[in-house]
Amino acid sequence: MKLSLSSVYTPYSFPIILKSYAFSNLCKPFCSSALSSSPPISLKPQVPLFLRPPIYSTKFCDFKKWHDWAKGIASSIGSTFVNSDNGPDSSILCRELKWLMEDAVEDHSLFSKMGFENYDERVKMRVGIEELYDLWKERIEKRRPFQYVVGCEHWRDLVLSVQEGVLIPRPETELIVDFVCDVVSKNEDLKRGVWADLGTGSGALAIGIGGASGIGGRVIATDINPVSVAVAAYNVQRYCLQDKIEVREGSWFEPLKDIEGKLAGLVSNPPYIPSKEISGLQAEVGRHEPRVALDGGIDGMDYLFHLCDGAALFLKPGGYFAFETNGEQQCRALVDYMKNKRSESLCNFEIVADFAGIQRFVIGFHH
Amino acid sequence: MYSFLQRTIQTSKIRQISRFSLFLQKLQTTSSRLSHNILVSNDSYSYGFHQRSIIVSPNQFRYFGSESVSLTLEGIIANNWNILDEDDGDWKSHAAAVAQSIDLIKRRLQWKKLKVRLDLLSAQLSKPDLWDDPVHAGKISREHGSLLGKVKEVNALEQELIEHIDMIKLAREENDEELESESLKALLNMRRNAKEKELEALLSGEHDYCSCYIEVQAGAGGTESMDWASMVMQMYKSWAQRRGYKVIVMEEMPGELAGIKRATIKVDGEFAFGYAKAEIGVHRLVRISPFDSNKRRHTSFAAVAVIPILGDGSTRVQINESDLRIERFRSGGPGGQHANTTDSAVRIIHIPTGITATSQNERSQHMNKASALAVLQSRLDQMEMARQAQLNAQHTQSLTDITWGSQIRSYVLHPYRMVKDLRTNYEVSDPDSVLEGDIDAFILSYLSASLDKGENNG
Ligand SMILES: C[S@@+](CC[C@H](N)C(=O)[O-])C[C@H]1O[C@@H](n2cnc3c(N)ncnc32)[C@H](O)[C@@H]1O
Repeated sequence: MKLSLSSVYTPYSFPIILKSYAFSNLCKPFCSSALSSSPPISLKPQVPLFLRPPIYSTKFCDFKKWHDWAKGIASSIGSTFVNSDNGPDSSILCRELKWLMEDAVEDHSLFSKMGFENYDERVKMRVGIEELYDLWKERIEKRRPFQYVVGCEHWRDLVLSVQEGVLIPRPETELIVDFVCDVVSKNEDLKRGVWADLGTGSGALAIGIGGASGIGGRVIATDINPVSVAVAAYNVQRYCLQDKIEVREGSWFEPLKDIEGKLAGLVSNPPYIPSKEISGLQAEVGRHEPRVALDGGIDGMDYLFHLCDGAALFLKPGGYFAFETNGEQQCRALVDYMKNKRSESLCNFEIVADFAGIQRFVIGFHH
Repeated sequence: MYSFLQRTIQTSKIRQISRFSLFLQKLQTTSSRLSHNILVSNDSYSYGFHQRSIIVSPNQFRYFGSESVSLTLEGIIANNWNILDEDDGDWKSHAAAVAQSIDLIKRRLQWKKLKVRLDLLSAQLSKPDLWDDPVHAGKISREHGSLLGKVKEVNALEQELIEHIDMIKLAREENDEELESESLKALLNMRRNAKEKELEALLSGEHDYCSCYIEVQAGAGGTESMDWASMVMQMYKSWAQRRGYKVIVMEEMPGELAGIKRATIKVDGEFAFGYAKAEIGVHRLVRISPFDSNKRRHTSFAAVAVIPILGDGSTRVQINESDLRIERFRSGGPGGQHANTTDSAVRIIHIPTGITATSQNERSQHMNKASALAVLQSRLDQMEMARQAQLNAQHTQSLTDITWGSQIRSYVLHPYRMVKDLRTNYEVSDPDSVLEGDIDAFILSYLSASLDKGENNG
């Protein structure tokens, strides 16, 4: 199913997405008051492929030639990547190719004509045909993640802009938004309060809970990485949520000094991979995603512990938290830590599994 | 469809009323011998006209007009008047044609069952505790309203026919040529209208108006039948597009070499289910297989299921989140930050029934979950409908086999070329156009065959 999106270009040439169903109440037609509440963007975020103007034109037969070439490469991969590091197989690559075409080509009715030979029409594209060759080569030869190739990741019902330097949000993390929707639907106090997403990356969690959960209060998103801050601010702006979500640069709780003890809710997916595992990661991750978004110290728990300590201090009574972890071991260690060291302020711990059945999340409350 | 019917009935009503006053005038000038009977007929008419909320079957009242013959639909049919072409027919031919149409419409609506069902619903509606369960009550009253509407429409048609005939007879008796030709015109008009309504009555099943899912699954036989399954799926995609429906691929399991093992599309638009339900069953292909280097003839099978997407919440099965197990498939390894994947396929299992649904073509897990849930919802609704259908013989006919059991159509590309429907024996000699989606004739012939043989007119 294709999301129905329509883009509008502001004077700043930031494409704004108007989603027809999500956030309609929050969306103003034009958001030219760029990033009022966020720090000025020093880095200019990249515009995702699907939002670029279709200013390139190619002969259909050349496009088809590229497609057949790309498909041939994808098929030739077989399960090579799967065997080497649990990377993508041919069928996944073929689907990515289809999505690349969807993002790059303006008129999708074209795809049903791919079987025909002498189809002399011109194809309008958002990228030149030579660049398409380069992009696909990078995908296969360099194992550059598909999401960086097209400059976006579909996450929940959002399409988030991503680029090198920013972690590509994971499907597992989507569930945290469901938890938050659940808890705020039962608790007016949490709904009205201020929430924080620490280590926001692309802004996924902040935008997810800010848009979907009916949270009436503000959401503050922090990250230490300036590229993340810029991209998160850009995504917030694309969804017209800048009145609600504030992006702050800094380390974990440091930018939150003003609201110590006042937070209604806290969510985070901090780096949690043990340092020694970084070198053996799947090529798409290890070679392309920023280490600062992945490396969680010796046993991967450095930041998780820090977040627990912060939760004890920064949440208000009755406040809620949800953290993502590396799996069962970290979940248990975290709950043990909180039971032993933070039980005077935190309680009602729960471990929740993701859809693959891996115990992934720890959630709980402030007394 | 109904708004259209309603409209034509409205206008014909107005026409009738003005013609009716004319009729009364005429009668007033006829012999006083009839004066007593005029009053009776007057009462009957006004009863019929002004209190339409009460069902009056026109064949329940008799008209003591200029001839003391009582006219009924059955009577007209029993006369066995010759039906000629519209152009050179006399009034008897038109009347017989209309009567035949009405008779057919009644059969298509499953008239007897419909009346029984209507009585049952009326009885339920009058129970004082009905609205204790508002969802159920809403459903009952909606269905009652819809059935009552149909009954009234057909009754109005019968009544109109009889009035036209009476008018013609009267005009002849009076030698009023103007009235006669006017009435004849009206009858001819009615003949054409009734013909259109015959078609509409084909799609009067409870869920016919719905959008639907079409699922195609390859039979045994490897690549050859997977290729056939994808041809069948392509046939439906083209058919749906021709009809102006929106088509969305919900799930697709490609075959290793070619074709599909199984796929589901959503066909969005009015009456998609009503038409597509005619395709339920097993489709057989005979051809020289392009996958056989020895160029031998192969027979392959593909099974088709069609599931309505119920629009209103009333027939929906309530799904409890706690009854669901949601799995990510094709996942391995530690996941989370370790993995980059664009594959976020999910499978949803409804634990109490064991029914599952998957979705893999969306670009986010959340959207895959949403679309798998929509498929699951429809499968559960479908099961619930089948269950209710068993409880309630009224509906069994339209919902009999959603199973993969029966063979319905065979497509032969070699040694001769033909597509033949095994249920109706309808056949064409051009398989290509059929495979390009030209299947309406098959659908209509099946729908009429299955409804028209249905029941004897009640
Ligand atoms: C695993 S990523 C999660 C990103 C995002 N929340 C998501 O789920 O897609 C971890 C994030 O934490 C940020 N981070 C790392 N160290 C940090 C620190 N000391 N303070 C704040 N953020 C930090 C990284 O820049 C990265 O964006």
